[in-house]
Amino acid sequence: MTDGPSVAPGLSVEREDVSEDELRELGVDTSGAPASDFKRYPVLSEGGWYIVIKNQKTMETVHRKKWTLLGPIKLVTDGLHIA
Amino acid sequence: MTDLGVGKTPIKELTDAEFEARYNCDRYTATVLSNRMRYIVEHMCTNLLHHAFSLILRDWYDFAATISGPASMNYPMSTVSNSLVLFSGAMEHAVRNAVEEYGPENLKPGDVLMVNDPYRAGNHVNDICFIRPVFHDDQLVTFVALRAHQLDMGGIVPAGFSATKKDVYETGLVIPPMLAYENDQPVQHSFHLIFNNARYCALLLPDMITIYQNLLLGERLMKESFERYGVDAWLGAINYSVDVPAESMAAAIKALPDGVYEGSDLVDADGIDDTLEYEIKVKITKAGERLEVDFSGTSQQARTSINAGVFDTLTATGVALKYVLDPKTAFNSGAYRNVDVVLPGGTICSATPPDGPVFLYWEAAQPVLLAIFKALEPAVGENAVGGDYGSLSIHNGHGVLPDGTPWVTVAQCGGEHGPWGATKSGDADSYGGFYMANNLDPATEAIESELPIVVLRKEYVPDTAGVGYNRGGASVLRDSMYLTEAHHTSSPVHTKRSSGAGVHGGKDGRNGATWLFSAEGGFDVAQRKDLIPVLDPEAYRQSTPVSGMLDPDTKAIDVEKGEYFWFGANPLWHTKSNDVFRYITCGGGGWGNPYTREPERVLRDVRDEYVSIEAAARDFGVIITGDPQKDPEGLSIDEAATDARRAELRNAGMA
Repeated sequence: MTDGPSVAPGLSVEREDVSEDELRELGVDTSGAPASDFKRYPVLSEGGWYIVIKNQKTMETVHRKKWTLLGPIKLVTDGLHIA
Repeated sequence: MTDLGVGKTPIKELTDAEFEARYNCDRYTATVLSNRMRYIVEHMCTNLLHHAFSLILRDWYDFAATISGPASMNYPMSTVSNSLVLFSGAMEHAVRNAVEEYGPENLKPGDVLMVNDPYRAGNHVNDICFIRPVFHDDQLVTFVALRAHQLDMGGIVPAGFSATKKDVYETGLVIPPMLAYENDQPVQHSFHLIFNNARYCALLLPDMITIYQNLLLGERLMKESFERYGVDAWLGAINYSVDVPAESMAAAIKALPDGVYEGSDLVDADGIDDTLEYEIKVKITKAGERLEVDFSGTSQQARTSINAGVFDTLTATGVALKYVLDPKTAFNSGAYRNVDVVLPGGTICSATPPDGPVFLYWEAAQPVLLAIFKALEPAVGENAVGGDYGSLSIHNGHGVLPDGTPWVTVAQCGGEHGPWGATKSGDADSYGGFYMANNLDPATEAIESELPIVVLRKEYVPDTAGVGYNRGGASVLRDSMYLTEAHHTSSPVHTKRSSGAGVHGGKDGRNGATWLFSAEGGFDVAQRKDLIPVLDPEAYRQSTPVSGMLDPDTKAIDVEKGEYFWFGANPLWHTKSNDVFRYITCGGGGWGNPYTREPERVLRDVRDEYVSIEAAARDFGVIITGDPQKDPEGLSIDEAATDARRAELRNAGMA
């Protein structure tokens, strides 16, 4: 008797906390929402990868900055310095 | 708040002056140039289709052309051709990533850049993306790209199609962004790099020359437009072209109720063993005009080449949203403006090198699309779309003719074409490319004239379509007999559950399966001068199962009580002459309550053998009398019995 198949473990995107100071430095108008409502994480959209800060209650994006071309993908040649 | 371009005045509400200020031309010119761009990519594709030698291009239409704006505009992809959707979604990023890595400042008139790295550019290594920078007076104005499947790119399997390759080194040659042509001359070392690694170069070379010529065609037509309308108008029309679907998608998203929608789909197994299933999970958060599509929780990348890359998943997301939310405007990079995809690296739909090999990327990307369909079903109501046959169940055979000539089949004799799911608009077609393809079906005559293969059967299987007020498409059965000894990879990776999910009260299509019938000791079609039966379970007893939920005794399909036969049990099948592979695809999902289907439509289904008389009574509550085999036009509806049957079903709470 063998066990049935299992589902391969899942992976998740980490949503980082954002401080009030960071929001202020970025010039974000929080409309009175506390910093704990906001998270920073990468997204893929029109134009490529971005690091966004969004209000997790309203899903409004308050800051959006271009990330690397390939986002979370590391090539086997990354870090290889060919002089 | 940060201005993200959301909330701009809608295009239709712009005054003429405002339109001209935004797009550098008037409405008429923007429309003309937008249509002109579509004409250019379609003209390029038609020309390649007519002149290609390789069967994957000539008979399958496995290529796509796109137009993108320059670096200063962040490479908006304004136009995609009507061919392979799987390519066109990723090509926005293929162009951007290749040009940025090479350096836009390094490109000169007469160059053609190429890239095939799945992790940089999407798709798989056989799909080389050729990119032509188009200049006007030394200004790099735009890019025209043609991505086309090359018959081979090296690796451990001729033609490459296999679900059991274990890393990027087994999948084939990876080409980083590099020049294929410089100053309109082929770069010798680039071509040698490919041809010293790839098989069938006698076919690849003329096709690559044809691809280059079609890039020149696109360039010439664009330059004519620059001359006539001006570069500013051209660039304005690129912006206009991407703004139109961006606006319509935003409006479609806004019309959905705010909320969180979740869905999932499973891949049966990878090519190592059948102990792991892979789940694609999606959580869609809709707020106002924006969607966030989060794949967190999706299974880690598979151990063999059934993974998709991030840009394939982005394509699947965009295509799914176009199907269910905004099907009426063009598909281009603007469709993603109000959509954020949250995607961890290293999953089955965001694989990373070198241990997350990508080859059969659609086997993970299609479940992405189906998971999104499932997630949004409650939100879109009657606009829900039934699932299609889901997996290409791709078959790849190769061998050598008696005179020593090598032959190879690519996606011609497996389950590559099949049914769609039903919609509110009507019954589904039963034979086409899956939702993320828009390909041709290789002609039987072409297969039989060029390869040692006889196509014995290519037909629909009764009682396999998902029932509903509108019926899903029926499963497609294909029997192919190989006349010489051969080797095969067979990749039916989605047979454990039907991909053809029913929607809006419709039912699922039936699961597919694959078998090998050996002539020796099995069923010798040539000697018996008869075809292998389809519906008789005993016919399968002598077969060797490849994949499916099958009765372990008879080996016929038994979805409820059967056991799963894993496709990877034999990574490379060896067959003798006259052996036959049989593929049955999954059936398409139904739409709506089947017990409300008009009896006349059920009668037509029985006449056309989509539905048996027994299933008409069981699944639709319609009683048909007569003999569909001997007198199909003499069939009739027993109206009194139908009324009684449907009343019985209603009383039992089933209708």
